[in-house]
Amino acid sequence: MKRTGILFFPAFDWSLGDSHPEREERLLYTQEQLFEEGVLDLPQIKQFSPRVASLHQGLRAQALFPNPQAHTDSLDAHLIAAGSAILLGEARMRGEISNGFVLARPPGHHSGATVWGNRGFCTLNNEAILVNHLRAKYGVKKIAIVDTDVHHGDGTQDIFYHDPNVLFISIHQDGRTLFPGSGFVYEKGGPNAWDQTLNIPLPPGTGDEGYHYVMENWVLPRLQAFAPELIINSAGQDNHFTDPLASMNLTADGYGRITEILQPDLAVLEGGYSIEGALPYLNLAILLALAGEDYHHVREPQKLTRPTLAWADLKPYFEALKKQHQAVQPKFSVQNKPTFPKGNWINIPNSIYYDTEGFQETRQDYIRQCNHCAGTVFIESRRAPQTSILVRIPFHACPECEQAGYDLWEHTHRHSEKIRSGLLQNQLHDKLVVWDSKEGLKEF
Amino acid sequence: MPIQVGIDVGGTYTDAVLIANGRIQQTAKVPTQSENLVDTLMEAFDKLAIREGQALDRLTVSTTLVTNAILQEQIPSVNLMLFSGKGMRMDALPWPVDYLELSGEMDFRGREIESPDQKEWEKLLSPDLLEKPTRVAIVGKFSHRNYLHEELLASYLKQLNPSLRIALGHEWGQANFYRRSLTTYLNLGVADLYHQFAQQLQTAVAARKIQTPIFILKADGGCLPLAKIRPIDSIYSGPAASVLSALTQIDSTESSIVVDIGGTTTDMGLVLAGVPLLSSKGAHIGSFATLVRSLSVRSIPVGGDSVVHATDQGFVLESYRLGPAYCLGGNAPTPTDAMRYLGLIDYGNLQLAEEGLASILPPEGRTPQQLKELACAILAQVVERISEAVDSLKREWQEEPAYKVWEVLHPQENHVFHTLVTGGAARGISAALGKRLGTPVKLGYRAEISNALGTAMARPTFDCTLHLDTYMKQYRVEETGEQGKWTGSLRPHKEVEGFLDTLVQRQVQEYGLDTYAVEKEHFDFFPIVQNYRTVGQIVHGAAHQRAGVIGRVIL
Repeated sequence: MKRTGILFFPAFDWSLGDSHPEREERLLYTQEQLFEEGVLDLPQIKQFSPRVASLHQGLRAQALFPNPQAHTDSLDAHLIAAGSAILLGEARMRGEISNGFVLARPPGHHSGATVWGNRGFCTLNNEAILVNHLRAKYGVKKIAIVDTDVHHGDGTQDIFYHDPNVLFISIHQDGRTLFPGSGFVYEKGGPNAWDQTLNIPLPPGTGDEGYHYVMENWVLPRLQAFAPELIINSAGQDNHFTDPLASMNLTADGYGRITEILQPDLAVLEGGYSIEGALPYLNLAILLALAGEDYHHVREPQKLTRPTLAWADLKPYFEALKKQHQAVQPKFSVQNKPTFPKGNWINIPNSIYYDTEGFQETRQDYIRQCNHCAGTVFIESRRAPQTSILVRIPFHACPECEQAGYDLWEHTHRHSEKIRSGLLQNQLHDKLVVWDSKEGLKEF
Repeated sequence: MPIQVGIDVGGTYTDAVLIANGRIQQTAKVPTQSENLVDTLMEAFDKLAIREGQALDRLTVSTTLVTNAILQEQIPSVNLMLFSGKGMRMDALPWPVDYLELSGEMDFRGREIESPDQKEWEKLLSPDLLEKPTRVAIVGKFSHRNYLHEELLASYLKQLNPSLRIALGHEWGQANFYRRSLTTYLNLGVADLYHQFAQQLQTAVAARKIQTPIFILKADGGCLPLAKIRPIDSIYSGPAASVLSALTQIDSTESSIVVDIGGTTTDMGLVLAGVPLLSSKGAHIGSFATLVRSLSVRSIPVGGDSVVHATDQGFVLESYRLGPAYCLGGNAPTPTDAMRYLGLIDYGNLQLAEEGLASILPPEGRTPQQLKELACAILAQVVERISEAVDSLKREWQEEPAYKVWEVLHPQENHVFHTLVTGGAARGISAALGKRLGTPVKLGYRAEISNALGTAMARPTFDCTLHLDTYMKQYRVEETGEQGKWTGSLRPHKEVEGFLDTLVQRQVQEYGLDTYAVEKEHFDFFPIVQNYRTVGQIVHGAAHQRAGVIGRVIL
C-alpha cells in the first residue's frame, strides 16, 4: 500500500505576536477539519509525532549570526518545525512512507544562508535543513525543491544558489507586487550552478488554469530533465483567492491538482494566512492528493468573486516570460582579493531586509569557480555594527576547494580585525565549527 | 464497613468477589452461559453468600454483553441519515453499514454553509419511518459544533411518527464525523439489549432484598451507574478490569507494565504513575471504528498452553491451544511443560513434561542438557513475544502526537517501571520476563478472580472537555454533547475556570457520583483575529476523573 505520512504540528502555544498572521489560531481550523473528516483513519495515513532538530542539523544549511547562542531563546518552535521535516524525510528514506506532509508551523522559506533574525515569519529554513540532512545522512545526490508559496522562496534560493545538485523552482506572485520583491527570471543560479534556479513570477489574478499550465508545461519538463531522487514541495497556501496578503486566485481543488501534478515526496507547509477560508480545505485537499484519494469533493465555502486573469491574457505573458528566461545569460564578475586562496572568485553583492524586526543585512558573497564541484562559498555578512562570515565547503567538494575553504577560514579568524565571528560549514565531512573572537572555536 | 462486590463476565468463566474493608471475604467462579448473562451473574452473586437485607456500597459488573452482540452481528438495523457535507469522499473510509446522505452543511465554527432541504426529507418517508418504531441515527459533519440540522430533522420525523427511536450524533461531541456516525449507530443498535439486561439485573438484585447501587465497568477503566452509562461504553471492560486489578496491588504512584498470561492469550496494559494509559484513539470493535475511550491494551495469542511444534530448525511456538499442557494430560507440548521441566512450577507431572519436550527433539538428542536448553528456548520465545507487545505499547505512548512547543520540549518523563505478572503461567516466566524487560517483577494476586477484583474496586470516571467560542457565543461539552449559549466576556480568564467547575458539578450530580480526584488541564486560549484585531477567543479546557481504584486490597 502507498503510505502517506503526516506530521501535524500546529504549535498551539507559539506566535509572533497577538494579532500576527503567524499565531496560535493559524492551524486550529485545519485541525478541526482534518480530525472531523477522519482523514487520520484512512488506512494509508500514518501520523508521526514531532521532534526537535539539533543545532548541528540547522547549521548544516544556515549560519546563525553573530553566533548560535544569540538565537537559542527564540529557536524552539523553529527547531521543532525543522526537526519534524527531518523526521518525515527519514521515514521517506527508510521506505516507511512513500510520501508525506509536514504540516507544521513556523514556516521557513524566507530564511537564507545567513540568519540574523526572523524575516517573512521565518527564522530557520525547514526544507533546506531537511535537504542537507538527507544528503549528509543518506548520501542523496540530487534533490529538487518546488516552492508553490505565493511569495518567492528567496531564503531557499539563497541557500542553494550555488549548488548544482539542488534544483530550486519557485512559482510566485510577481516580486514587483509582493514581498520579498525578488524571484525574477534572471535569477538563474550562481557560476557553478547556472540554470539550477528557476523563477516563474506570475501576475496577480492568476487562477487554477494558468497555474496548472505552468506546472505541466514548464515545471514538470524541467524536473524530468533534472531527474532528482527526491522532490520537496514548499507548499505555501497563500495563492488561494481568499488570502489576505496576496492577490492570486487558486482554489482548494486547484491545490489538490498541483499536488497531483507534482507528486512530491514531501510537502512542507509554508505560508497561507486565510486561516478559515482556505487553510482547512487546502490542507485537506493536499493531504488527500498525497494519499491518492479523490480531492474533488473538497470545496471551500466562499465563492471566487475576484476577477481571474483570462487564459487569453495570460498566454502572451507566459510566452514573453519564457523568451526572457531563455535570453538571460550568465554575467559574473571575478574579484580576487590578495588574501583569497588561488582560483577565480566570483563576487555577488547581496542585501537582505529583515521585515519582522526592521533591519538590513549587507553581504558580499564570493564563490570559487570550479569545474569539479559546487565550489567553496565565502560570505561576509554585515548587520551594523557587526560582521560575521560563512565559509561553506560544499557536498562533494574537490580537494582544492576544500583546501581553499580551510585557508580562508584560518585566515579570516586569525587576521581580520573587523570580523568577530563565523561558521565553517564543511558539508563534505559534515563538520560544523563556530568561531567567535571572544569564545574561540566550538564544534557543533 | 465499606462492602463492594465485583462480578466479571468473561467468555468462559464468570468470577465474583466480595470485599469488605479492603479484604477479600468471598470469591466465586461459575461457567458463563452466554445465552443468559443475568442468570450467570446471579449464580456467581449467590455463591458469595451475601445475607438477605445486607446493604452493599456498590455492585459493579463488567460484562461482554455489548461486545458480543456487536462481534456476533446481533444488532438490529438502524437507519443512518447523514448531513455529510463536502470534504473527503464518503467512500474513502470503509462504512460497515448503509447510510443515506442529505444536503445541509456546517463548518468548523458551527456556521451554517448550506441549509437542509425539506423536500429531500419528504422523499425519505417510507412506511417503516411513518408507522413503525424504527431506529434512526442522525449525524451531521461538524454537528459537535452545531446540532441544528440534526435537531431539525429529528423533530420533523418525530412529528410524523412519535414512536421513532432517534439518536443524534452531536451527543458524541468529539471530532470525527466517521466515528461519530458509527458510534451513534452502535449505541442506538445495542440500546434495547442493554436496557433489557439492566432491568433484569436490577430486578434480580432487588428480589434478593439486597440494597445496592449497581455500576457497570467501561472500556476506559471507570464505572458509571447502570442507568447512566451509554451502553456502547461498556465494551472491552475485561482488559480494563485486569489493569485495575493490578492497581489494587501496587503503590498508588507506581508505573507498571501489567501482564496477564492465560492459557491461550496474554493481555498487557500500562500504568503511568498510578494512572492506566488511555488509547489516544477511540476503540475499534468488529468493523466499526468508534469514539469510545478505552485503555491502551494489547492482547496476543501466546499463553501457557500454546502448542509447541517440532520443525527442521527446532520448534515453533504456535498461536493456538489444543487443550491442557502435556504434563497435565494434554496431547501436545507447551510452555507449561517447559516450566514444569525446569522446576519453575510445581503442578503437572514431571515425567510427562519431559516426555512432551523430548518429542520435539530428535531421538539421539534427548539428553538432560539438551532438554534443558530446549525448555529455556521455549520460554525465551514466550518472553520475547510478550516483550515485543509491551515495547509496542510503550512506543505508542511515547509517540503520541504533540501539538504544542511545550509538550515537545517536555517529553514524557522516564518512568521507572515495575512489572506485575498474573495469570496461570505467571510464576513460570516472571524471572525471564523481568530480565528481558529490565524491570523488577512482582507476581499478581489471586489470578483466578483478578478481573472481578479490578471490577469491584473501579473508580467512577468522567471527562468534561469544554470548547468555547466567545465570538460565536457558543460553548460545547465533548462528552455530553451539550451545546449552549455563552453569555460571558469575549476574553474570559478566571471566568472560564468557574464555568468549567460548574459544568463538572452538573455532570457529577447528573451521574450521582462521588468525586475522588478531579484533575484540570491547563486552558488553551486562541485569540480570534479579524483584520488585525482580536475579536474573541476560542478556549479549550478539560477536567477529568481518570481511571483508578477506590482502594487497595489488603493481603
